[in-house]
Amino acid sequence: MINLQRSVSSALTIAEIEARKIRHDSTELWMRTVQPALWLLVFGEVFNAIRSSLLSIPGYSYIQYIAPGVLAQSVLFVAIFYGITIVWERDVGLLTKLLSTPSPRLSVVVGKALAAGVRGIFQGIMVFALALIIGINLRFDPLDVAGVFITAVLLAMCFASLSMTLASFLKTRDRMMGIGQAITMPLFFASNAIYPVSLMPVWLQYISKFNPLSYGVDAIRSMLLTGDYSTLPVDIFALLLFTLFFIACASVVLKRLIE
Amino acid sequence: MEEGEIFGLLGPNGAGKTTAIKMITTLARPTAGSIMVFGIDVQRAPQEVRQMLGFVPQAISVDGDLTGYENLLIFAKLFFVDREERKERILDALKYFGLADRANELVKNYSGGMMRRLEIAQALVNRPRILFLDEPSIGLDPYSKNQVIQQIQELNREFGTTILVTTHDMTEADILCDRLAIMNMGKIAISGAPSDLKRSVGGDVLTVKVTGQAAASLPAGLGSVVSSEQGTIKILTEDGEKAIPRLTEYFERNGAVVESISLSRPTLDDVFMKYAKASLQEEGTFRDARSVRRSFARHGR
Repeated sequence: MINLQRSVSSALTIAEIEARKIRHDSTELWMRTVQPALWLLVFGEVFNAIRSSLLSIPGYSYIQYIAPGVLAQSVLFVAIFYGITIVWERDVGLLTKLLSTPSPRLSVVVGKALAAGVRGIFQGIMVFALALIIGINLRFDPLDVAGVFITAVLLAMCFASLSMTLASFLKTRDRMMGIGQAITMPLFFASNAIYPVSLMPVWLQYISKFNPLSYGVDAIRSMLLTGDYSTLPVDIFALLLFTLFFIACASVVLKRLIE
Repeated sequence: MEEGEIFGLLGPNGAGKTTAIKMITTLARPTAGSIMVFGIDVQRAPQEVRQMLGFVPQAISVDGDLTGYENLLIFAKLFFVDREERKERILDALKYFGLADRANELVKNYSGGMMRRLEIAQALVNRPRILFLDEPSIGLDPYSKNQVIQQIQELNREFGTTILVTTHDMTEADILCDRLAIMNMGKIAISGAPSDLKRSVGGDVLTVKVTGQAAASLPAGLGSVVSSEQGTIKILTEDGEKAIPRLTEYFERNGAVVESISLSRPTLDDVFMKYAKASLQEEGTFRDARSVRRSFARHGR
């Protein structure tokens, strides 16, 4: 019991580090809004001109369709580079220090993943703000918005732990930059973020079934757009499974980074 | 190691000092055998072991993007220091290490010496039973180095913290450590109190310059003549300082005039050279120096 309490408190403390850093310097957060803004303002507006029901869900405009996708994608982009952060922390000795505290490895990984979640929430706020400014019609029901934030945190935790797992094997910042670039786009394109899965070739449709991003996007879309919660339990459950799996992987292999 | 002492771990680069510390602090797996910290096996209960120890790694590892206060707060939380005591301990530690007036400034604006002091201050907040310092004075100017040494000593005196320190600075090791060990190629080559170790490589050497008739032999207890040529006599003795007045008196009683006496004592450098010379590698020192410089540059921006 005391162990569980301590594990939770350690994880929260590690996430707190991130929150405090953001409070001291939030420049990066603002720069991170450029990309979703471009996706919505440029890509979304241009493709909005194609009035095809194939590109969206019937009854919704394309820009409405991709807003949840852009939100999820911006969370993915923030989280997938968490491995670089952790390699950098290893390089400056912070990770060694962190691992020499009584905190269990699991707490360190969960804490770092939560830290990515903190950034994920900010991405969510930014995309909501953009949607309001551009006038994209979304359902701003408080419960749905809360649900979207929870999904964003889960997505961030999932990809941050995946990234930390990869970092434990790749070990250098350069390689992590490379792998980050190499996997974000496939994850993005093999998902339902900017077009429906039904448009994909069949082989890609199968791949997208194993893509956590698809489940995240689907969950966010059902809460922000359609209000049809029929797939929501499956989405959240799948996302949770992915997240727990990657957290478990990262906790086991993280030590490799300092060996 | 005994409880309450300051123990020095010396050795050439790559001797295994850092690895030894990593194994004790549960950051690396022991390759063979087992390690007990205050009777607890590090492999069986790593979390309990880590709760008892503090670790200051070689590279400066305070977080530059947080303030001094926050750095201490985070680590107090991670060591489960009681909420009621936390604030008081942090403020005390900051004051004690002369960082109180800059507590709310981001650490990246601190000097190297201040960062080091902040790291040791962390240990003061967590009150570990044993503190590991991996080259605490590396890259510091003589003044900061001195301050760090004093603070380590006070930590040991006031809280009875057992301290293990690695260093390449023999003078520092001599001042600081109650006992020390020299490692070479992963094994302890020799260990003991600094004074014993120094004695083991030979006693004090007095070089006496005399004019006139010098005696070829000395009375018992004064030492033995090592060499004697053209009025310069080298004498090996146990305690050089005490031998000087007696030698002067002895020579003058025997009709010689003593012009000068110089005393040279074996230092820990001599001990080190004797036990560690086998594997001093250029490459190791270069890499170490570079990584240290890099870490300072990064934090000092």
